[in-house]
Amino acid sequence: MVKRTALYVTLVAGAFVSVFPYLLVALTALKTPRQLSGTEPWEPGLPPTFANLDRVMHSGFAGYLGNTLLMTAALTAGQLVFTTFAAYAFARLRFRGRDVLFWLYVATMMVPSAVTMIPLFLIMRELHLVNTWWGLLAPYLLGTPYGIFLMRQFFRALPAGLEDAARIDGAGPLTILLRIVLPLSRPALGTLAIITVISSWNNFMWPLIITSGDDTRVVTVGIAGLKGSIGVDPNQMTAAALIALVPMVAVFVAFQRYIVRSVVLTGLK
Amino acid sequence: MTSSADHLPGRADPADGAERDGIERDGIERDRAVVTAPAAGTPEEPADGRTAARGAGHRPRRRLWHTNWYAYLFVAPSLFGVFAFLLLPLLIVLGLSLFHWELLSSPSFAGLANYRRLGGDGETWHSVWVTVLFVLLSIPAQTVLGLLLALLLNQRVKGVAFYRALFVVPWMATPIVMGLVWTWIFDPRDGALNKLLGVAGVSGPDWLTDPSWALPSVALVNVWQYSGYTMLFFLAGLQGIPQELYDAAATDGASPVQRFFQITLPLLNPTTFFVTVTNLVGAFQIFDTVYAMTDGGPSGSTEVLNFRIYETAFRQFDFGYASTLAALLFLLILAVTLAQVRFFAKRTTYDLS
Repeated sequence: MVKRTALYVTLVAGAFVSVFPYLLVALTALKTPRQLSGTEPWEPGLPPTFANLDRVMHSGFAGYLGNTLLMTAALTAGQLVFTTFAAYAFARLRFRGRDVLFWLYVATMMVPSAVTMIPLFLIMRELHLVNTWWGLLAPYLLGTPYGIFLMRQFFRALPAGLEDAARIDGAGPLTILLRIVLPLSRPALGTLAIITVISSWNNFMWPLIITSGDDTRVVTVGIAGLKGSIGVDPNQMTAAALIALVPMVAVFVAFQRYIVRSVVLTGLK
Repeated sequence: MTSSADHLPGRADPADGAERDGIERDGIERDRAVVTAPAAGTPEEPADGRTAARGAGHRPRRRLWHTNWYAYLFVAPSLFGVFAFLLLPLLIVLGLSLFHWELLSSPSFAGLANYRRLGGDGETWHSVWVTVLFVLLSIPAQTVLGLLLALLLNQRVKGVAFYRALFVVPWMATPIVMGLVWTWIFDPRDGALNKLLGVAGVSGPDWLTDPSWALPSVALVNVWQYSGYTMLFFLAGLQGIPQELYDAAATDGASPVQRFFQITLPLLNPTTFFVTVTNLVGAFQIFDTVYAMTDGGPSGSTEVLNFRIYETAFRQFDFGYASTLAALLFLLILAVTLAQVRFFAKRTTYDLS
């Protein structure tokens, strides 16, 4: 009995530590500066105020949020489309060089993203794409080797009978892919979409390097800019953090079981 | 939605597989159901040679072994991406490491000068040391913590799904955002941590401005972010260990501690391998959290290698030398990954399927 109690106390404590920074963000974002100095950080400020959120949204974050949404949507769409085509070809079509190419894809998964930042910037500079939407999106728009690896594994595990039947009925490869394979692939596509949404939303280093103007500034870069030389204003910072975190928390709550599964299956990070 | 996820790769039902063998076509061999996670080191080669030989008697099958031109159309966009944004950059970085190039001037060939400079560059080696220290401060802690949480959750706990979900929440937090939030939590005067310690009668240190506390603080945030993520994999691994093994060991009089070290830990080897490789590769590239929390300071105590690369390239515009540092980081990650592959390859893994 004591053991059971200790177990639950540990679990509750762990769960509390996990969500504490989120709680702090929500509490602080809704406090007035006066409430902030008058209460402990973990106490709520009553009555809650939306003034911080309002101020932050009007200081550019509405635009940054729009840019993040646009970037996330574009990258996710690109990833889903191009990854599906390439993965299907690697899984089911026969063409010269297939195995060598696939081996190459697997090898490139070993290249750390930190290493390619400098040359990617230089390539974009050469193409005059610094501080443009194309520069921001291009490196991640055409699908990642990792996503292709994942989808290929999934396609190969699908029974081939349906595709064969469709082929005998005269269906072309595009029809087979779109009408037969894709409807069977919703779980894998969902996993891929979630990986891409989260990693695009959280992406910081590349947008930091490649963008400089308000037109292309995303939320992560906007928040980093709040860090002044004299430290951050907690009200303002947590209000911006709330804007950045709420959409992902909403995604998490909606797809919680699914995300947990996807993490284990794919090791996405 | 959840139930259909069962059909994701790696979870293929053996019965399913047997059926598929019967209708295998085009010489594409059925995948063995292995962990899909790529870092687990299973880039299995499609065994086309073998299957082609097997189908040699079937004329129609052989006739199908021609190139589908549209396959290239399917692959082309992603192939362009891989060449232009992964392979080309890798070549550029290795090439540029042999040049002097401060963005405004034109690049001039320098041979191995950058590497000679690297040899005597104490600050960079300090960065390498800080990176290694950061890895040592975060990886063992988050691996052990992840395993402990998994062991706790594996004990027929009420509401496993609930706790599991809460533990995973930090993993999806935007690192740059949570870096700033934690900076505020660590604030010596107004931060939640020192206020909480104050309630307990302890006066906390100046976490992020004290050179001896800054790196552990940043590592703590990393542990906070990835322990739950690590737990998920261990929990899945634990649930794959058959109960009979424990029952048999208990009958033989093995103590719980013995059972843990003789059964649980060895059988978790593939999971441990995967988790440490992914976490290490991530930790070696730590950037966002450092950028948000300390900007490399105080007095260089959190200046990890990736942050130094960023500074050299995008604050000092010394792209040649920054490329040399990036090549160094690449080699470091490669070496550590290969060392882990060797370490775990020596250990027996058991096929429970």
